[in-house]
Amino acid sequence: MACRLPTQLATPGNLHHTKAWSSTCHGGALSFRRTLAPEALVSSLSSAPSSSIALSGGSYKRPLVTCTGQTSVGAVNLAPGTPVRPTSILVVGATGTLGRQIVRRALDEGYDVRCLVRPRPAPADFLRDWGATVVNADLGKPETIPATLVGIHTVIDCATGRPEEPINTVDWEGKVALIQCAKAMGIQKFVFFSIHNCDKHPEVPLMEIKYCTEKFLQESGLNHIVIRLCGFMQGLIGQYAVSILEEKSVWGTDAPTRIAYMDTQDIARLTFIALRNENINGKLLTFAGPRAWTTQEVIALCERLAGQDANVTTVPVSILRLTRQLTRLFEWTSDVADRLAFSEVLTSDTIFSVPMAETYNLLGVDGKDIVTLEKYLQDYFTNILKKLKDLKAQSKQTDIYF
Amino acid sequence: MASSATASRGITTNSSTTRINNSQRYPCWRQPISVTMNNPKPNWVVFATNTSQDTNNKSKNNNKSKRPRGSNKKKSPALAVENDVVSNSTSVENDKKQQQQQKLLDLEDVNPVGLGRRSRQLFDEVWRKFSGLGQISSTTRPDQREALDALLIREGPMCEFAIPGAQNTTVLVVGATSSVGRIVVRKLMLRGYSVKALVRKADEQALDMLPRSVEIIVGDVGEPSTLKDAVEGCNKIIYCATARSAITGDLFRVDHCGVYNISKAFQDYNNKLAQLRAGKSSKSKLLLAKLKSAESLAGWEVRQGTYFQDVIASKYDGGMDAKFEFTESGDAVFSGYVFTRGGYVELTKKLSLPLGRTLDRYEGLVLSVGGNGRSYVLILEAGPLSDTSQSKLYFARINTKVGFCRVRVPFSSFRPVKPDDPPLDPFLIHTLTFRFEPRRQKPVEGPAGAKQDPRSFKLILEYIKALPTGQETDFILVSCSGSGLEPTRREQVLKAKRAGEDLLRRSGLGYTIIRPGPLKEEPGGQRALVFDQGNRISQGISCADVADICVKALHDSTARNKSFDVCYEYVAERGKELFELVAHLPDKANNYLTPALSVLEKNT
Repeated sequence: MACRLPTQLATPGNLHHTKAWSSTCHGGALSFRRTLAPEALVSSLSSAPSSSIALSGGSYKRPLVTCTGQTSVGAVNLAPGTPVRPTSILVVGATGTLGRQIVRRALDEGYDVRCLVRPRPAPADFLRDWGATVVNADLGKPETIPATLVGIHTVIDCATGRPEEPINTVDWEGKVALIQCAKAMGIQKFVFFSIHNCDKHPEVPLMEIKYCTEKFLQESGLNHIVIRLCGFMQGLIGQYAVSILEEKSVWGTDAPTRIAYMDTQDIARLTFIALRNENINGKLLTFAGPRAWTTQEVIALCERLAGQDANVTTVPVSILRLTRQLTRLFEWTSDVADRLAFSEVLTSDTIFSVPMAETYNLLGVDGKDIVTLEKYLQDYFTNILKKLKDLKAQSKQTDIYF
Repeated sequence: MASSATASRGITTNSSTTRINNSQRYPCWRQPISVTMNNPKPNWVVFATNTSQDTNNKSKNNNKSKRPRGSNKKKSPALAVENDVVSNSTSVENDKKQQQQQKLLDLEDVNPVGLGRRSRQLFDEVWRKFSGLGQISSTTRPDQREALDALLIREGPMCEFAIPGAQNTTVLVVGATSSVGRIVVRKLMLRGYSVKALVRKADEQALDMLPRSVEIIVGDVGEPSTLKDAVEGCNKIIYCATARSAITGDLFRVDHCGVYNISKAFQDYNNKLAQLRAGKSSKSKLLLAKLKSAESLAGWEVRQGTYFQDVIASKYDGGMDAKFEFTESGDAVFSGYVFTRGGYVELTKKLSLPLGRTLDRYEGLVLSVGGNGRSYVLILEAGPLSDTSQSKLYFARINTKVGFCRVRVPFSSFRPVKPDDPPLDPFLIHTLTFRFEPRRQKPVEGPAGAKQDPRSFKLILEYIKALPTGQETDFILVSCSGSGLEPTRREQVLKAKRAGEDLLRRSGLGYTIIRPGPLKEEPGGQRALVFDQGNRISQGISCADVADICVKALHDSTARNKSFDVCYEYVAERGKELFELVAHLPDKANNYLTPALSVLEKNT
């Protein structure tokens, strides 16, 4: 049964799709409804051509089929088989910033973790070293998915396509395939990470895809939790902190957008608390950090903690926006346009933050345990500065030696 | 094109240290040259121009002017050093060629390919940063990523799992494929320990279950000879193996002998280390008395007395007698009988410690004794040496077995004879006494069911050693509390487990014995835990929580030399509600183990 699924997901080709996608952005109308019909699952071969034809037709409206997943539960979950252990989980996107923290947390809490990782020349050894099992599969190639779900109780999906690849393949096609497979194979819980405010910005492709995936997941009838996230503190280090220490120029915008950054370790911790809480099934949670920051504030904080001034290049948001508008005019730059789409959000003066008191209550967590950005960056700088000092001392020693 | 081809030929013939790679692939302007210095293997590649024969003698100028704009935007202290070396070696002809170089440089600057490349790199860099602003998710470049990973994940001062000192600690996990052991291994790996795993068979299934950087040792705890490799280089041992069946043989092999074999192998290894360090190791025991020759009996004194001074010797009094002698079979035997009511006999010796040693750095005594299984009272006299009248007496009861056995008596189990006296200070101990009294002897079955008279005794002394103290536990044993076992086999299972625990306690290693309730395969950290001593707990516990306790106990001084039961929190039955402490949910940066264990009794 599992192997029948992917046939209907066969995509006619990337280039074509990207085109279709960019036109979708213009139209602004994207339907999250895709086939999850029981006949597609049970007797898929006949329905496969029709659905792929619908896709390759180039229409930007996806075939509007009402999801009938709920009624097909009995039909889908045919084999009772061996009951899966509730400790067996699959992490999709395990090598990412959040994914690896999820894996670590899961291992530490005693789960048996399987990681779905794209086949690559340099395998993710660190996952194996921690004691996770690594399986090779690619969300872009749906036929590789079902085998990875065998014996899995919970799927945690923290994958996002890399910025340099077409957004459609992984984030939409792949996710749909994954959810369909999960449904078909009777996965008992599905955790999906989305972006905060994704329902309010349909003009940003990634956010719209996330929103549609949320909808799709809800319609699928899977037992699920959707967690919306604001920003990762770990991302700031690569973006600002390292550049400031290396005295390279730091690029920031003058956008008034505020983001409540959160430590991914905290996100992972809260995720597992939520995962085990049966009351949260089917709910949508938003995790935000203790305080929302603008990029200017973050850079100022980094400067203060590093004890040196940064060479800041401030790019007005209007320029970003203009670039996006320009690149959108041409087909061959539409990928670029997609990638710049977040500038739309930046101009819109949104605050990426939510009051967390209720969530903390729901999860039974103390808000004081959540790491603040000041604390996080301070830890980073004290550690790194100490290390640099050690390195300097070492190099001095070797000088004398020579 | 043609000129460049001739130029490259010229270089290959002229200089033996320079050779050209891919001269065909790069038709003009720039060719990668791998410069081999004295070092036989080329360990760097320098990009250089060779529009003419002279370019391999590049000037410093040329290098410096090109490098910053050139191809190596990414990285480079290494390359910078390189430049200097190259230019130094070639700067001899520097001056002559300067002018020509200048000209070449100009030519170079207008070279459209180089310009294009450079401008593209610049643009890429700017574009990368620029587009990064407009994105939600950002991926770091691979080279950056490596460095970030190292900081944030592997060595991780930023990582919540990192434990200082974990890098220098090697832990042997026995039973690494068991339900607890599997999680223990993962937890140790996450925290940066070096882990050795002892498995019985290194088959596919077992290997799949363990992280790849775990050192896997094949061995069987039932076979002492296979354990030498396992304990080599280890600092700590976590024993989570258990018999796969309730067959007595299996239980005996794994739960009873297995613990003994491993602890013995570990102790042997420690002793070997101690020998290498000439007895100066913190692990070496202090020999107080070794009774292996007739001379070694000197200083020992036999005394007798009664508890009731006023008793008149009646005609029924059989009297008492005792002697301490070195037998022909090479044993030091203290034997005799006490028929007098309230009488006792003693064997006593003034301890003479090696110079510079005091007993306060030791935490107990370990005796190797044999005999007919009587119990004795061990009495320590403590006080200033100059004035023995101020000495205070402390006693502890020890049980022996028929045949040889080792007995571990921690100093903390000695209680003052006069209840008002302060607790024993090991620093002041000067005299050691064995006392035999007929009271409170367990009836011992003699051979062939013949009742032995409990008033006679025989004690073979082999050695008396002081056990060094340590801060941390050396050996963590996951045993079981006994609840939830199959009733028919409960006795046998518990008997084997308790025997194993006893052997571990006597081994002289710092130990922690964890007796969890029935294990459940579910994620840990969900429910509060109860720590208790005694057989009162009734709930189960998740494997992950047990594993967490094991890992936390490794560096916890309160866990040393303790045995405790642990299970999920529950509402106790009436009369059994005396559990010691409810720990918090295991949470980030909260060490629940120390407060929970600090109230529990030591040396249990």
